Amino acid sequence: MARTLRFHVFRYNPQDPASTPHMDAYVLDETESMTLYIALTRIREEQDPSLMFDFCCRAGVCGSCAMVINGRPGLGCHTKTADLPERITLLPLPFFKLVGDLGVDTGTWFREMYTRVESWIHTEKQFDPASEEERMDNETAEQIYELDRCIECGCCVAACGTARMREDFLGAAGLNRLARFMIDPRDQRSDKEYFDVVGNDQGIFGCMGLLACEDVCPKHLPLQDQLGYMRRKMAMNALTRILPWKK
Amino acid sequence: MPLEATAPLAKPGRAAAYLDWLQMLTGAFLILFMWGHLLMVSSVLFGRGAMNGIAGFLETTGLAQLGGPVIAVAFLLHFVLAARKIPFTSKEQRTAVGHAKMLHHTDTWLWIVQVVSAMVILVLGSIHMWTVLTDLYVGVPGSELGINAETSAARVQKWPWTLLYIVLLPLAELHVSIGFYRIGVKWGVIKRKGRKKAKLIEYIMAGAFLLIGTATLIRFLLMDVN
Repeated sequence: MARTLRFHVFRYNPQDPASTPHMDAYVLDETESMTLYIALTRIREEQDPSLMFDFCCRAGVCGSCAMVINGRPGLGCHTKTADLPERITLLPLPFFKLVGDLGVDTGTWFREMYTRVESWIHTEKQFDPASEEERMDNETAEQIYELDRCIECGCCVAACGTARMREDFLGAAGLNRLARFMIDPRDQRSDKEYFDVVGNDQGIFGCMGLLACEDVCPKHLPLQDQLGYMRRKMAMNALTRILPWKK
Repeated sequence: MPLEATAPLAKPGRAAAYLDWLQMLTGAFLILFMWGHLLMVSSVLFGRGAMNGIAGFLETTGLAQLGGPVIAVAFLLHFVLAARKIPFTSKEQRTAVGHAKMLHHTDTWLWIVQVVSAMVILVLGSIHMWTVLTDLYVGVPGSELGINAETSAARVQKWPWTLLYIVLLPLAELHVSIGFYRIGVKWGVIKRKGRKKAKLIEYIMAGAFLLIGTATLIRFLLMDVN
């Protein structure tokens, strides 16, 4: 028998001076294979056209529909209502700037993060458009791809206790982003240069290892292993710089 | 992230790395000490002679006199280092607790337990250390050894010392076991594959140490000190 779902949705439009933050309740009959995206679309079409939420791909690729679902950051399009209880509470992602209701602006933060980690290949090599593209061994390419699968939904940052307490923390998304360049043989940055970007409390040494990022990542990126690896690598880099025989 | 963050926030330095090393090393050292401490004190379960024998050995060799201050320094240093991450302001505390409540996430709650237990351990652990170390250096009238089963039992039996140990014991065991697990995940020793198992080991360890500690406390409470 189909369940009747009760949605409690955060409502607030910062653009509207008359708007105040509050929760609205909606009741909806559950249908087969219903996702939160489908449910929210039906609420908007059938009950409340003013409801704001982000979506684009509807397939867990664009990361636009991230929201807090019964306390956990996740993707609306990825989450089936069948996996949730009848009472569903939806909040916008914390940490990011609220656009309206469930929609947040993750773009500004990610752009800022890209600038901070200098998210581009650093090389002295002159680009020759006529030459054949340099080959990369398959294993390295796969390692890079594994980290490049990040869809920038912001769930890891919203779930991060450190980021919630200190806004300048790079978060798992930022650290994972830099890790991708550390693997890339085309990037000629030295370990010291990488250290200068993340070897501080705004970077890897700010991470408290709560691993909520690992547990909420909708793409199941290997964040726990990546953060552990980066902490060891950066810590060893600092250590070897004071050992006289390692200099 | 504030927009001005693109400008260098500070001159790049290595201090954060060294402080993180020190926090981990003092933590690991204190974990090892706490395991040894509990096992040695729990020797009283085999009779007061067993504990007095170990205490006597540590004192006659000078290990206790030397180790005591080292532990005290490591204890305070570990607090100062870990305090870099402890939410002290009420704003941070509200954020941290609100975040943990929202997330329903075990590891986030484990960290909150560590933070709260750290503050209690700082106060009660300092009182405990001060007393034991003064017993060690100054001695207790009518007692030959600085540390012995009878002195410990007499203290545990005396209110409010009883309360101090009833509170300190479980919090210290929790802090140590969670700390052991958290060092593992933070430094990548515990990998994604092994995390579930490591957490289970952490719970079993905390339970086992709590059981041994409680049995030891009860033994002290029931010991005839006259």
